[in-house]
Amino acid sequence: MDVLYIFMAGRLRVGAGCDRFNFDNRLDYKEKMMAKVVGIDLGTSTSAVAIVEDGMAKVIPNERGEKIIPSVVSFLEDGTRIVGTLAKRRMIMDPENTVYSAKRLIGRKFFSSEVKKAQAVCAYKIVEGPNQGVVIEIRGKQYSLAEISSFILMEMKRIAEDYLHEKVDRAVITVPAYFNDGQRQATKDAGTIAGLQVLRIINEPTAAALAYGFGKGLNQKIGIYDLGGGTFDISVLEIGDDIFEVISTAGDTFLGGDDFDDRLIDYLAEIFYKEHNVDLRTNKHALQRLKDAAERGKVDLSENLETDISITGIVEEMAGPLDLHAKVARNYFGKLVYDLIQKTFKVCDEAMQNAGMTVDQLDSIILVGGPTKMSIIKEAVESYFFKTPQSGINPEEVVALGASIQGSALMESSTSSLLLDVTPMSLGIATAGGLMDRLIARNTPIPTEQSRIYTTTRDNQESVNIRVFQGENRKYDENEPLGECRLTGVRPAKKGGPKIKVTFEINADGIVEVSAEDVDTGQEQRITLNVSGGLSREEIDKLKSQHASGEDVAERK
Amino acid sequence: MAIEERKKIEINSIARLIDELDYFQILKVNQNASPEEVKIAYFRESRQYHPDKFYNEPPEVAKKVTMIFKRITEAYKILSDPETRDVYTKSIAGSDRHKNLRYIHGVQGGLPKEDEGQTTMGRKYFQMGKVAFNNMDYKGAKINFQLAAKMEPKNETFKEYLAKVEEKLRSKK
Repeated sequence: MDVLYIFMAGRLRVGAGCDRFNFDNRLDYKEKMMAKVVGIDLGTSTSAVAIVEDGMAKVIPNERGEKIIPSVVSFLEDGTRIVGTLAKRRMIMDPENTVYSAKRLIGRKFFSSEVKKAQAVCAYKIVEGPNQGVVIEIRGKQYSLAEISSFILMEMKRIAEDYLHEKVDRAVITVPAYFNDGQRQATKDAGTIAGLQVLRIINEPTAAALAYGFGKGLNQKIGIYDLGGGTFDISVLEIGDDIFEVISTAGDTFLGGDDFDDRLIDYLAEIFYKEHNVDLRTNKHALQRLKDAAERGKVDLSENLETDISITGIVEEMAGPLDLHAKVARNYFGKLVYDLIQKTFKVCDEAMQNAGMTVDQLDSIILVGGPTKMSIIKEAVESYFFKTPQSGINPEEVVALGASIQGSALMESSTSSLLLDVTPMSLGIATAGGLMDRLIARNTPIPTEQSRIYTTTRDNQESVNIRVFQGENRKYDENEPLGECRLTGVRPAKKGGPKIKVTFEINADGIVEVSAEDVDTGQEQRITLNVSGGLSREEIDKLKSQHASGEDVAERK
Repeated sequence: MAIEERKKIEINSIARLIDELDYFQILKVNQNASPEEVKIAYFRESRQYHPDKFYNEPPEVAKKVTMIFKRITEAYKILSDPETRDVYTKSIAGSDRHKNLRYIHGVQGGLPKEDEGQTTMGRKYFQMGKVAFNNMDYKGAKINFQLAAKMEPKNETFKEYLAKVEEKLRSKK
């Protein structure tokens, strides 16, 4: 153990002061394998990258000093693309070629309501991809959501490399706790495409808990209230010295800060409609400016009791340009979003119930996610949990910090902290009669596995199909279809003869893996799980090598 | 950085033995251990065998540790719920002990049954098709299976029967 430490310290000294190019040349392969691990919070609205240096986790700023990077990708006419604040500005100037909130679409089916909703409001083109997936079409070229996310990850990687002056190729990436298998897989694929070895996918609230409690020797039960741009999670954890045990987690991947903005947008559009008889929501350019103003208004209302929202020349009418002016009081905004806040507490009820606890048993509440900076949220959380949320934790940085701590814990297996996380939803298979046979219950610690014995229903049947679902409904149709397992090459026999043990595993990333073996012969059977909407191994590798060069968009046009 | 040789030997022997241990033995607690003791044991064993602690070990070690840890969480999950703990403790007391070392959830080993239809019309056409098929009226069977499949396009059983009857019709020609 000590030996490694010295070795690493020595390597770090070599790294400091060298420029990236020289450094790469000096390192042999093995040393490069020891390159630093970053933690990346890939958020719906913003992302952040962090690293542990000298035992301290910190968020890495970009060259402009920004630590919180907008998760926006803009594609320029000359084939280059930009990510971050500059891209975000182009949301108004060039909405058709600027992609935001891509995380709301990742791993989703084209026919889902979330995709329909995004199509109605987004100026960029969302079209159906292969395998019921979703792709985004920009300047005549199609990108999968994993690819769009990989552009953001590449930027985070670049920020880290510029800051550290060394190559970064390993990362721990966070996802909402309530992300399903498809969404986790797509996020991991995005990391791979970005040229990162994804050491682990961890849950955002769990990462936040780690950042909060790491090295403090706490013995506490805590609640993590994580309201992101597009998702809501609540996790209940018990911290016992070095162990972070998730007792229960619940969430809603259709609820986030974006929805709060939408309420304000709707309200402003209504006022405008009453005054001018023009519906701004039907004009995607006007809608984009309205979105921008609503977002700023929302932030303003955290500090002030009232905000003035005005946009000059938001729309061009026959009589000339029209302006939008409105005053919004904090209390009124609170009324507009009241039901959304209550919706988060319904999810909290569920998590508390599954943990077998009441709110007074929690020692601390931690707020995570930009939207929790809103004072209306802070106040509501305080009255729900009967305690003031922890202050002094930056809700936008804490997740990336936790991810970097986990990254370094994995690299130095001796580190004292240990995460015991759970699967957020039940895993099951379709049975006759339309019911789901639940194999793994939600809140089961991961990694975990369950097996079932399968047999054939016809003589000489060669293959068996097993449909896999995630969700809590008794009827499988009401749950999220995860994919179809196809067991092939079954040895020819009378029906009911072959006994094949199929094992469903949820690994430490929360991703489902299946394996199968013949019970009698002990032979491994071929089984494949096709995740609907996902990318194949080959597609990922192809995209990875295409992007490996860095400036690839031009040549790919 | 590599783990000690002694640890490796320990992992190998546990991996070999684990199928013969009950959950109490896996967590190294008495059968009358309190819920707190079970939890402490779970944490203690997790510190020893969580795969994260072996992240940089060769795959064969990591694989064994993952298997051990999965069994530890399985033991904890069953023993931390009073209801399942009770059922389990009784099940390993009898003569069938060796068969019940792992908790059996609900119906184990359920066979994927034929999906006889989720809609009234789907079921009806499917049954009519089967009758026709058994009477070797393959043309009639085909029409009924087609109608059934039309009612429930996702039903795999209907598709299988339709394929079967088409095969019959082909071989007759």
